[in-house]
Amino acid sequence: MTETNDSSVVIQVKGLRKSFGDHEVLCGIDETIHKGEKVVIIGPSGSGKSTFLRCLNLLEIPTQGQIWIHGQEITGPKCDVDSLRQRMGMVFQHFNLFPHMTILENITLAPICKKGMTKTEAINKAKKLLDRIGLSEKADTYPNMLSGGQKQRVAIVRALAMDPDVMLFDEPTSALDPEMVGEVLNLMKELAVSGMTMAVVTHEMGFAREVGTRVLFMDSGIILEQNKPDEFFANPKHPRLKDFLSKVL
Amino acid sequence: MSIISDIYSQFYAAFDRTFLVDDRYQIFLHGIRNTLIITAGALVVGVIIGVALAVAKVYYYQTGPFSYKESFKNFLKTKRPIFLGHIFQKLLDQLITCYLILFRGTPVVVQLMIWAFVVFSTTNELIVAILGFGINSGAYVAEIVRAGIMAVDKGQTEAGRSLGLSAWQTMWHIVLPQAFKNVLPALGNELIALLKETSIVGYIAVVDLTKAAALVRARTFDAFVPLLCVALAYLLMVFLLSIIQQFIEKRLQASDRR
Repeated sequence: MTETNDSSVVIQVKGLRKSFGDHEVLCGIDETIHKGEKVVIIGPSGSGKSTFLRCLNLLEIPTQGQIWIHGQEITGPKCDVDSLRQRMGMVFQHFNLFPHMTILENITLAPICKKGMTKTEAINKAKKLLDRIGLSEKADTYPNMLSGGQKQRVAIVRALAMDPDVMLFDEPTSALDPEMVGEVLNLMKELAVSGMTMAVVTHEMGFAREVGTRVLFMDSGIILEQNKPDEFFANPKHPRLKDFLSKVL
Repeated sequence: MSIISDIYSQFYAAFDRTFLVDDRYQIFLHGIRNTLIITAGALVVGVIIGVALAVAKVYYYQTGPFSYKESFKNFLKTKRPIFLGHIFQKLLDQLITCYLILFRGTPVVVQLMIWAFVVFSTTNELIVAILGFGINSGAYVAEIVRAGIMAVDKGQTEAGRSLGLSAWQTMWHIVLPQAFKNVLPALGNELIALLKETSIVGYIAVVDLTKAAALVRARTFDAFVPLLCVALAYLLMVFLLSIIQQFIEKRLQASDRR
Protein backbone atom coordinates (compact mmCIF):
# COMPACT_ATOMS: atom_id res chain seq x y z
CA MET A 1 0.00 0.00 0.00
CA THR A 2 2.92 2.29 0.63
CA GLU A 3 3.71 4.50 -2.30
CA THR A 4 7.11 5.49 -0.95
CA ASN A 5 9.31 4.08 1.74
CA ASP A 6 10.77 7.46 2.58
CA SER A 7 9.75 7.84 6.23
CA SER A 8 10.13 11.62 6.11
CA VAL A 9 7.11 11.85 3.81
CA VAL A 10 4.03 12.74 5.85
CA ILE A 11 1.48 13.45 3.15
CA GLN A 12 1.57 12.30 -0.42
CA VAL A 13 -1.08 13.20 -2.97
CA LYS A 14 -1.36 11.75 -6.43
CA GLY A 15 -3.74 12.81 -9.21
CA LEU A 16 -6.25 14.28 -6.81
CA ARG A 17 -9.48 15.40 -8.42
CA LYS A 18 -12.69 16.62 -6.82
CA SER A 19 -15.92 17.65 -8.47
CA PHE A 20 -19.11 19.02 -6.99
CA GLY A 21 -21.71 17.97 -9.54
CA ASP A 22 -20.44 19.15 -12.92
CA HIS A 23 -18.08 21.66 -11.41
CA GLU A 24 -14.53 20.40 -11.09
CA VAL A 25 -12.85 22.13 -8.16
CA LEU A 26 -9.58 20.20 -8.09
CA CYS A 27 -8.21 19.20 -11.47
CA GLY A 28 -5.37 16.86 -10.71
CA ILE A 29 -3.03 17.67 -7.86
CA ASP A 30 0.26 15.95 -7.08
CA GLU A 31 2.00 17.02 -3.93
CA THR A 32 4.32 15.66 -1.29
CA ILE A 33 4.71 17.16 2.15
CA HIS A 34 7.71 16.12 4.25
CA LYS A 35 8.09 16.01 7.98
CA GLY A 36 8.63 19.44 9.51
CA GLU A 37 7.62 21.35 6.41
CA LYS A 38 5.38 24.37 6.71
CA VAL A 39 3.51 24.50 3.44
CA VAL A 40 1.48 27.64 2.86
CA ILE A 41 -1.21 27.52 0.21
CA ILE A 42 -2.41 30.77 -1.30
CA GLY A 43 -4.63 31.65 -4.20
CA PRO A 44 -7.78 33.52 -5.17
CA SER A 45 -11.08 32.45 -3.66
CA GLY A 46 -12.66 29.53 -5.47
CA SER A 47 -9.27 28.23 -6.54
CA GLY A 48 -9.78 25.01 -4.57
CA LYS A 49 -7.25 25.55 -1.78
CA SER A 50 -9.70 24.83 1.05
CA THR A 51 -11.09 21.82 -0.80
CA PHE A 52 -7.55 20.53 -1.26
CA LEU A 53 -6.87 20.85 2.46
CA ARG A 54 -10.19 19.23 3.37
CA CYS A 55 -9.44 16.29 1.07
CA LEU A 56 -6.27 15.59 3.06
CA ASN A 57 -8.26 14.37 6.08
CA LEU A 58 -11.17 13.18 4.00
CA LEU A 59 -13.66 15.82 5.10
CA GLU A 60 -14.23 15.91 1.35
CA ILE A 61 -14.15 12.59 -0.46
CA PRO A 62 -11.95 12.89 -3.54
CA THR A 63 -13.60 12.02 -6.82
CA GLN A 64 -10.34 10.56 -8.12
CA GLY A 65 -6.77 10.13 -7.03
CA GLN A 66 -4.93 8.81 -4.00
CA ILE A 67 -3.69 10.26 -0.74
CA TRP A 68 -1.20 8.62 1.61
CA ILE A 69 -0.71 9.76 5.17
CA HIS A 70 2.40 8.23 6.76
CA GLY A 71 2.39 5.71 3.95
CA GLN A 72 -1.16 4.58 4.62
CA GLU A 73 -3.59 5.15 1.80
CA ILE A 74 -6.37 7.20 3.34
CA THR A 75 -8.43 6.93 0.15
CA GLY A 76 -8.10 3.16 0.14
CA PRO A 77 -10.96 0.81 0.98
CA LYS A 78 -9.59 -0.61 4.22
CA CYS A 79 -8.21 2.53 5.83
CA ASP A 80 -9.15 3.35 9.40
CA VAL A 81 -9.89 6.99 8.69
CA ASP A 82 -10.74 7.88 12.29
CA SER A 83 -7.39 6.78 13.64
CA LEU A 84 -5.51 8.62 10.89
CA ARG A 85 -7.51 11.76 11.61
CA GLN A 86 -6.39 11.61 15.22
CA ARG A 87 -2.88 12.24 13.99
CA MET A 88 -3.90 15.22 11.86
CA GLY A 89 -5.21 18.25 13.66
CA MET A 90 -7.47 20.61 11.78
CA VAL A 91 -8.25 24.25 12.49
CA PHE A 92 -11.23 25.86 10.81
CA GLN A 93 -12.04 29.37 9.66
CA HIS A 94 -15.04 29.55 11.97
CA PHE A 95 -13.32 27.85 14.94
CA ASN A 96 -16.11 25.27 15.33
CA LEU A 97 -15.74 25.03 19.08
CA PHE A 98 -18.55 23.02 20.67
CA PRO A 99 -20.84 25.70 22.16
CA HIS A 100 -22.54 23.39 24.67
CA MET A 101 -19.27 22.38 26.33
CA THR A 102 -16.89 24.36 28.49
CA ILE A 103 -13.45 25.17 27.14
CA LEU A 104 -11.99 22.33 29.19
CA GLU A 105 -14.59 19.86 27.92
CA ASN A 106 -13.93 21.00 24.35
CA ILE A 107 -10.28 20.08 24.76
CA THR A 108 -10.72 16.84 26.72
CA LEU A 109 -13.54 15.27 24.68
CA ALA A 110 -11.44 13.64 21.98
CA PRO A 111 -8.54 12.52 24.21
CA ILE A 112 -11.01 10.81 26.56
CA CYS A 113 -13.07 9.25 23.77
CA LYS A 114 -10.23 8.24 21.50
CA LYS A 115 -6.93 8.00 23.32
CA GLY A 116 -8.26 6.14 26.32
CA MET A 117 -7.05 8.85 28.67
CA THR A 118 -8.68 9.04 32.07
CA LYS A 119 -10.57 12.20 32.84
CA THR A 120 -7.88 13.47 35.20
CA GLU A 121 -5.08 12.85 32.72
CA ALA A 122 -6.98 14.64 29.99
CA ILE A 123 -7.83 17.56 32.26
CA ASN A 124 -4.22 17.93 33.38
CA LYS A 125 -3.06 17.93 29.83
CA ALA A 126 -5.74 20.42 28.78
CA LYS A 127 -4.78 22.72 31.63
CA LYS A 128 -1.14 22.64 30.57
CA LEU A 129 -2.15 23.52 27.03
CA LEU A 130 -4.41 26.33 28.22
CA ASP A 131 -1.57 27.60 30.36
CA ARG A 132 0.62 27.75 27.31
CA ILE A 133 -1.82 30.09 25.56
CA GLY A 134 -2.55 32.06 28.72
CA LEU A 135 -6.21 31.11 28.97
CA SER A 136 -6.19 28.96 32.11
CA GLU A 137 -8.73 31.12 33.86
CA LYS A 138 -11.21 30.52 31.00
CA ALA A 139 -11.19 26.72 31.46
CA ASP A 140 -14.68 26.51 32.91
CA THR A 141 -16.38 29.12 30.75
CA TYR A 142 -18.27 28.49 27.52
CA PRO A 143 -16.93 29.35 24.07
CA ASN A 144 -19.25 32.26 23.47
CA MET A 145 -17.66 34.16 26.32
CA LEU A 146 -14.36 34.28 24.44
CA SER A 147 -13.20 36.70 21.77
CA GLY A 148 -12.60 35.42 18.25
CA GLY A 149 -8.86 35.26 18.75
CA GLN A 150 -9.23 33.37 22.00
CA LYS A 151 -11.66 30.94 20.38
CA GLN A 152 -9.26 30.20 17.58
CA ARG A 153 -6.37 29.67 19.97
CA VAL A 154 -8.53 27.25 21.97
CA ALA A 155 -9.43 25.48 18.72
CA ILE A 156 -5.73 25.08 17.92
CA VAL A 157 -5.04 23.73 21.39
CA ARG A 158 -8.01 21.37 21.11
CA ALA A 159 -6.40 19.86 18.03
CA LEU A 160 -3.02 19.73 19.77
CA ALA A 161 -4.49 17.75 22.67
CA MET A 162 -4.56 14.72 20.37
CA ASP A 163 -0.78 15.00 19.79
CA PRO A 164 -1.10 15.20 16.03
CA ASP A 165 1.97 15.13 13.86
CA VAL A 166 0.43 17.26 11.13
CA MET A 167 -1.71 20.36 11.53
CA LEU A 168 -4.02 21.60 8.80
CA PHE A 169 -5.13 25.22 8.98
CA ASP A 170 -8.07 26.31 6.83
CA GLU A 171 -7.97 30.13 6.73
CA PRO A 172 -7.52 30.33 10.50
CA THR A 173 -7.50 34.14 10.65
CA SER A 174 -10.06 35.03 7.99
CA ALA A 175 -13.00 35.35 10.39
CA LEU A 176 -11.10 37.40 12.97
CA ASP A 177 -11.10 41.08 13.77
CA PRO A 178 -7.83 42.55 12.50
CA GLU A 179 -6.53 43.20 15.99
CA MET A 180 -6.89 39.53 16.91
CA VAL A 181 -5.08 38.11 13.92
CA GLY A 182 -1.70 38.63 15.57
CA GLU A 183 -2.29 36.44 18.61
CA VAL A 184 -3.39 33.51 16.45
CA LEU A 185 -0.50 33.89 14.03
CA ASN A 186 1.91 34.05 16.95
CA LEU A 187 0.64 30.76 18.31
CA MET A 188 0.99 29.23 14.85
CA LYS A 189 4.54 30.55 14.64
CA GLU A 190 5.36 28.99 18.00
CA LEU A 191 3.98 25.74 16.71
CA ALA A 192 6.07 26.02 13.55
CA VAL A 193 9.20 26.65 15.56
CA SER A 194 8.50 23.56 17.67
CA GLY A 195 8.85 21.51 14.49
CA MET A 196 5.23 20.70 13.68
CA THR A 197 4.44 19.75 10.10
CA MET A 198 1.91 22.28 8.89
CA ALA A 199 -0.28 22.93 5.85
CA VAL A 200 -1.81 26.37 5.99
CA VAL A 201 -4.39 27.91 3.68
CA THR A 202 -4.26 31.63 4.31
CA HIS A 203 -4.39 35.14 2.94
CA GLU A 204 -1.69 36.33 5.34
CA MET A 205 1.23 36.91 2.99
CA GLY A 206 3.45 38.06 5.84
CA PHE A 207 2.95 34.72 7.57
CA ALA A 208 3.63 32.83 4.35
CA ARG A 209 6.88 34.69 3.87
CA GLU A 210 8.04 34.47 7.46
CA VAL A 211 6.99 30.99 8.54
CA GLY A 212 6.47 29.01 5.35
CA THR A 213 9.17 26.69 4.09
CA ARG A 214 7.33 26.38 0.80
CA VAL A 215 4.52 28.38 -0.75
CA LEU A 216 2.03 26.94 -3.22
CA PHE A 217 -0.08 29.06 -5.52
CA MET A 218 -3.36 27.47 -6.56
CA ASP A 219 -5.66 28.68 -9.28
CA SER A 220 -8.67 26.96 -10.88
CA GLY A 221 -7.99 23.65 -9.24
CA ILE A 222 -4.29 23.15 -9.94
CA ILE A 223 -1.02 24.15 -8.30
CA LEU A 224 0.29 26.73 -10.74
CA GLU A 225 3.54 27.52 -9.06
CA GLN A 226 5.48 26.66 -5.94
CA ASN A 227 8.74 27.80 -4.48
CA LYS A 228 10.63 28.78 -1.35
CA PRO A 229 8.99 31.90 0.09
CA ASP A 230 11.79 34.38 -0.75
CA GLU A 231 11.96 33.29 -4.35
CA PHE A 232 8.18 32.93 -4.57
CA PHE A 233 7.44 36.51 -3.60
CA ALA A 234 10.51 38.18 -5.09
CA ASN A 235 10.47 36.36 -8.36
CA PRO A 236 7.04 35.02 -9.39
CA LYS A 237 7.09 33.39 -12.80
CA HIS A 238 3.53 32.65 -13.83
CA PRO A 239 1.61 35.72 -15.06
CA ARG A 240 -1.43 34.64 -13.03
CA LEU A 241 0.66 34.64 -9.85
CA LYS A 242 2.26 38.00 -10.74
CA ASP A 243 -1.21 39.43 -11.21
CA PHE A 244 -2.41 37.91 -7.90
CA LEU A 245 0.57 39.15 -5.91
CA SER A 246 0.29 42.65 -7.38
CA LYS A 247 -3.22 42.78 -5.97
CA VAL A 248 -2.60 41.41 -2.50
CA LEU A 249 0.83 42.74 -1.61
CA MET B 1 -78.37 34.42 50.52
CA SER B 2 -80.60 31.45 50.17
CA ILE B 3 -79.83 31.14 46.46
CA ILE B 4 -76.13 31.00 47.12
CA SER B 5 -76.44 28.48 49.88
CA ASP B 6 -78.78 26.52 47.66
CA ILE B 7 -76.18 26.35 44.89
CA TYR B 8 -73.55 25.51 47.43
CA SER B 9 -75.47 22.65 48.93
CA GLN B 10 -76.34 21.31 45.48
CA PHE B 11 -72.72 21.49 44.42
CA TYR B 12 -71.66 19.84 47.63
CA ALA B 13 -74.10 17.02 47.08
CA ALA B 14 -72.81 16.52 43.52
CA PHE B 15 -69.23 16.61 44.76
CA ASP B 16 -70.12 14.09 47.45
CA ARG B 17 -71.74 11.78 44.93
CA THR B 18 -68.88 12.10 42.45
CA PHE B 19 -65.97 11.62 44.77
CA LEU B 20 -66.91 10.39 48.20
CA VAL B 21 -69.78 7.95 47.91
CA ASP B 22 -68.44 4.40 47.47
CA ASP B 23 -64.90 5.88 47.59
CA ARG B 24 -65.29 6.95 43.97
CA TYR B 25 -62.23 9.22 44.25
CA GLN B 26 -60.23 6.03 43.94
CA ILE B 27 -61.43 5.57 40.37
CA PHE B 28 -60.11 9.04 39.59
CA LEU B 29 -56.79 8.34 41.27
CA HIS B 30 -56.51 5.12 39.33
CA GLY B 31 -57.33 7.10 36.17
CA ILE B 32 -54.69 9.74 36.82
CA ARG B 33 -52.18 7.01 37.50
CA ASN B 34 -52.91 5.36 34.16
CA THR B 35 -52.88 8.67 32.30
CA LEU B 36 -49.43 9.45 33.70
CA ILE B 37 -48.07 5.95 33.10
CA ILE B 38 -49.22 5.94 29.49
CA THR B 39 -47.90 9.45 28.86
CA ALA B 40 -44.51 8.77 30.43
CA GLY B 41 -44.15 5.37 28.76
CA ALA B 42 -45.20 6.70 25.37
CA LEU B 43 -42.80 9.62 25.76
CA VAL B 44 -39.88 7.25 26.33
CA VAL B 45 -40.88 4.98 23.44
CA GLY B 46 -41.57 8.00 21.21
CA VAL B 47 -38.27 9.72 21.93
CA ILE B 48 -36.24 6.54 21.41
CA ILE B 49 -37.98 5.82 18.12
CA GLY B 50 -37.90 9.47 17.08
CA VAL B 51 -34.20 10.02 17.74
CA ALA B 52 -33.24 6.74 16.08
CA LEU B 53 -35.28 7.49 12.95
CA ALA B 54 -34.09 11.10 12.77
CA VAL B 55 -30.43 10.07 13.04
CA ALA B 56 -30.90 7.37 10.39
CA LYS B 57 -32.60 9.81 8.04
CA VAL B 58 -30.03 12.57 8.52
CA TYR B 59 -27.17 10.10 8.13
CA TYR B 60 -28.63 8.87 4.86
CA TYR B 61 -28.85 12.38 3.43
CA GLN B 62 -25.37 13.28 4.65
CA THR B 63 -23.71 10.26 3.06
CA GLY B 64 -26.11 9.72 0.17
CA PRO B 65 -28.56 9.87 -1.38
CA PHE B 66 -27.92 6.67 -3.27
CA SER B 67 -29.71 4.90 -6.07
CA TYR B 68 -30.37 1.16 -6.02
CA LYS B 69 -29.21 0.70 -9.58
CA GLU B 70 -25.93 2.60 -9.22
CA SER B 71 -25.09 0.99 -5.87
CA PHE B 72 -25.80 -2.48 -7.20
CA LYS B 73 -23.70 -1.86 -10.31
CA ASN B 74 -20.85 -0.52 -8.19
CA PHE B 75 -21.09 -3.54 -5.92
CA LEU B 76 -20.90 -5.96 -8.84
CA LYS B 77 -17.97 -4.01 -10.23
CA THR B 78 -15.90 -3.57 -7.07
CA LYS B 79 -17.31 -6.21 -4.69
CA ARG B 80 -16.95 -3.70 -1.87
CA PRO B 81 -19.54 -4.28 0.89
CA ILE B 82 -19.97 -0.53 1.36
CA PHE B 83 -22.22 -0.49 -1.71
CA LEU B 84 -24.49 -3.13 -0.19
CA GLY B 85 -24.58 -0.81 2.82
CA HIS B 86 -25.78 1.97 0.54
CA ILE B 87 -28.59 -0.23 -0.72
CA PHE B 88 -29.55 -1.07 2.85
CA GLN B 89 -29.42 2.61 3.83
CA LYS B 90 -31.71 3.60 0.99
CA LEU B 91 -34.14 0.81 1.86
CA LEU B 92 -34.13 1.88 5.51
CA ASP B 93 -34.75 5.51 4.55
CA GLN B 94 -37.73 4.51 2.44
CA LEU B 95 -39.13 2.31 5.21
CA ILE B 96 -38.84 5.24 7.62
CA THR B 97 -40.66 7.48 5.17
CA CYS B 98 -43.45 4.89 4.97
CA TYR B 99 -43.62 4.80 8.75
CA LEU B 100 -43.98 8.57 8.92
CA ILE B 101 -46.70 8.61 6.27
CA LEU B 102 -48.60 5.76 7.93
CA PHE B 103 -48.55 6.98 11.53
CA ARG B 104 -48.97 10.66 10.85
CA GLY B 105 -51.64 10.00 8.28
CA THR B 106 -54.13 8.00 10.34
CA PRO B 107 -55.98 8.95 13.54
CA VAL B 108 -54.35 7.75 16.71
CA VAL B 109 -57.65 6.25 17.96
CA VAL B 110 -57.83 4.05 14.91
CA GLN B 111 -54.18 3.01 15.33
CA LEU B 112 -54.82 2.25 18.98
CA MET B 113 -57.84 0.05 18.23
CA ILE B 114 -55.92 -1.77 15.53
CA TRP B 115 -53.12 -2.50 18.01
CA ALA B 116 -55.55 -3.57 20.71
CA PHE B 117 -58.12 -5.57 18.74
CA VAL B 118 -56.30 -6.70 15.61
CA VAL B 119 -52.63 -7.10 16.44
CA PHE B 120 -52.42 -7.92 20.14
CA SER B 121 -55.89 -9.07 21.01
CA THR B 122 -55.09 -10.54 24.42
CA THR B 123 -52.24 -8.69 26.09
CA ASN B 124 -52.23 -6.07 28.77
CA GLU B 125 -54.09 -3.00 27.46
CA LEU B 126 -51.90 -0.58 29.36
CA ILE B 127 -48.81 -1.82 27.53
CA VAL B 128 -50.67 -1.76 24.24
CA ALA B 129 -51.62 1.85 24.97
CA ILE B 130 -48.02 2.81 25.78
CA LEU B 131 -46.77 1.16 22.58
CA GLY B 132 -49.60 2.59 20.49
CA PHE B 133 -49.10 6.16 21.63
CA GLY B 134 -45.30 5.79 21.64
CA ILE B 135 -45.17 4.51 18.07
CA ASN B 136 -47.50 7.29 16.97
CA SER B 137 -45.60 9.95 18.84
CA GLY B 138 -42.28 8.59 17.51
CA ALA B 139 -43.30 9.66 14.01
CA TYR B 140 -43.79 13.25 15.13
CA VAL B 141 -40.70 13.29 17.35
CA ALA B 142 -38.63 11.97 14.42
CA GLU B 143 -39.47 15.00 12.33
CA ILE B 144 -38.91 17.38 15.25
CA VAL B 145 -35.51 15.90 16.04
CA ARG B 146 -34.53 15.79 12.38
CA ALA B 147 -35.19 19.51 12.11
CA GLY B 148 -33.11 20.03 15.26
CA ILE B 149 -30.17 18.01 13.94
CA MET B 150 -30.22 19.80 10.61
CA ALA B 151 -30.15 23.15 12.40
CA VAL B 152 -26.79 22.30 14.00
CA ASP B 153 -23.96 23.85 11.97
CA LYS B 154 -22.18 21.38 9.69
CA GLY B 155 -18.88 22.69 11.01
CA GLN B 156 -19.65 21.00 14.34
CA THR B 157 -19.70 17.58 12.71
CA GLU B 158 -16.56 18.39 10.75
CA ALA B 159 -14.75 19.51 13.90
CA GLY B 160 -15.74 16.30 15.66
CA ARG B 161 -14.70 14.06 12.78
CA SER B 162 -11.43 15.96 12.29
CA LEU B 163 -10.51 15.14 15.89
CA GLY B 164 -10.88 11.49 15.04
CA LEU B 165 -14.27 10.88 16.64
CA SER B 166 -16.45 8.36 14.81
CA ALA B 167 -19.69 9.43 13.14
CA TRP B 168 -21.61 7.96 16.04
CA GLN B 169 -19.48 9.62 18.75
CA THR B 170 -19.79 12.94 16.95
CA MET B 171 -23.56 12.55 16.79
CA TRP B 172 -23.86 11.55 20.44
CA HIS B 173 -21.45 13.98 22.09
CA ILE B 174 -21.64 16.98 19.78
CA VAL B 175 -24.68 17.12 17.51
CA LEU B 176 -27.50 15.58 19.56
CA PRO B 177 -27.00 17.74 22.70
CA GLN B 178 -27.18 20.86 20.56
CA ALA B 179 -30.12 19.50 18.58
CA PHE B 180 -31.93 18.66 21.81
CA LYS B 181 -31.59 22.24 22.96
CA ASN B 182 -32.96 23.44 19.62
CA VAL B 183 -36.02 21.22 19.77
CA LEU B 184 -36.94 21.40 23.43
CA PRO B 185 -39.88 23.81 22.88
CA ALA B 186 -41.27 21.63 20.10
CA LEU B 187 -40.78 18.49 22.18
CA GLY B 188 -42.64 20.17 25.04
CA ASN B 189 -45.52 20.78 22.65
CA GLU B 190 -45.49 17.16 21.61
CA LEU B 191 -45.50 15.97 25.21
CA ILE B 192 -48.43 18.20 26.10
CA ALA B 193 -50.35 17.00 23.06
CA LEU B 194 -49.52 13.41 23.99
CA LEU B 195 -50.79 13.84 27.54
CA LYS B 196 -54.12 15.15 26.32
CA GLU B 197 -54.36 12.61 23.50
CA THR B 198 -54.23 9.77 26.01
CA SER B 199 -57.80 10.75 26.94
CA ILE B 200 -59.01 8.42 24.18
CA VAL B 201 -57.63 5.19 25.67
CA GLY B 202 -61.11 4.50 26.97
CA TYR B 203 -61.69 3.12 23.48
CA ILE B 204 -59.50 0.13 24.30
CA ALA B 205 -60.90 -0.30 27.81
CA VAL B 206 -58.12 1.34 29.77
CA VAL B 207 -59.47 3.42 32.65
CA ASP B 208 -57.64 6.71 32.41
CA LEU B 209 -58.72 10.02 33.88
CA THR B 210 -61.32 10.71 31.18
CA LYS B 211 -62.71 7.21 31.31
CA ALA B 212 -62.92 7.46 35.10
CA ALA B 213 -65.08 10.55 34.74
CA ALA B 214 -67.29 8.76 32.24
CA LEU B 215 -67.71 5.77 34.56
CA VAL B 216 -68.67 7.94 37.51
CA ARG B 217 -70.94 10.09 35.37
CA ALA B 218 -72.83 6.98 34.30
CA ARG B 219 -73.41 6.13 37.96
CA THR B 220 -74.39 9.56 39.28
CA PHE B 221 -76.08 11.04 36.20
CA ASP B 222 -74.15 14.21 36.94
CA ALA B 223 -71.85 15.48 34.20
CA PHE B 224 -70.91 18.87 35.59
CA VAL B 225 -68.61 18.02 38.50
CA PRO B 226 -66.66 15.06 37.08
CA LEU B 227 -66.00 16.66 33.71
CA LEU B 228 -64.99 20.00 35.15
CA CYS B 229 -62.74 18.39 37.71
CA VAL B 230 -61.12 16.23 35.05
CA ALA B 231 -60.56 19.28 32.83
CA LEU B 232 -58.96 21.02 35.78
CA ALA B 233 -56.75 18.00 36.47
CA TYR B 234 -55.48 17.96 32.86
CA LEU B 235 -54.87 21.68 33.04
CA LEU B 236 -52.80 21.28 36.19
CA MET B 237 -50.74 18.46 34.74
CA VAL B 238 -50.03 20.43 31.57
CA PHE B 239 -49.15 23.45 33.65
CA LEU B 240 -46.70 21.38 35.64
CA LEU B 241 -45.13 20.01 32.46
CA SER B 242 -44.60 23.47 31.06
CA ILE B 243 -42.91 24.54 34.28
CA ILE B 244 -40.57 21.55 34.07
CA GLN B 245 -39.89 22.42 30.43
CA GLN B 246 -39.02 26.01 31.33
CA PHE B 247 -36.72 24.77 34.05
CA ILE B 248 -34.81 22.49 31.67
CA GLU B 249 -34.61 25.24 29.06
CA LYS B 250 -33.12 27.60 31.62
CA ARG B 251 -30.52 25.04 32.62
CA LEU B 252 -29.54 24.41 29.02
CA GLN B 253 -29.08 28.12 28.50
CA ALA B 254 -25.99 28.09 30.71
CA SER B 255 -23.75 28.12 27.62
CA ASP B 256 -25.63 31.09 26.08
CA ARG B 257 -24.76 33.53 28.83
CA ARG B 258 -22.20 36.11 27.90
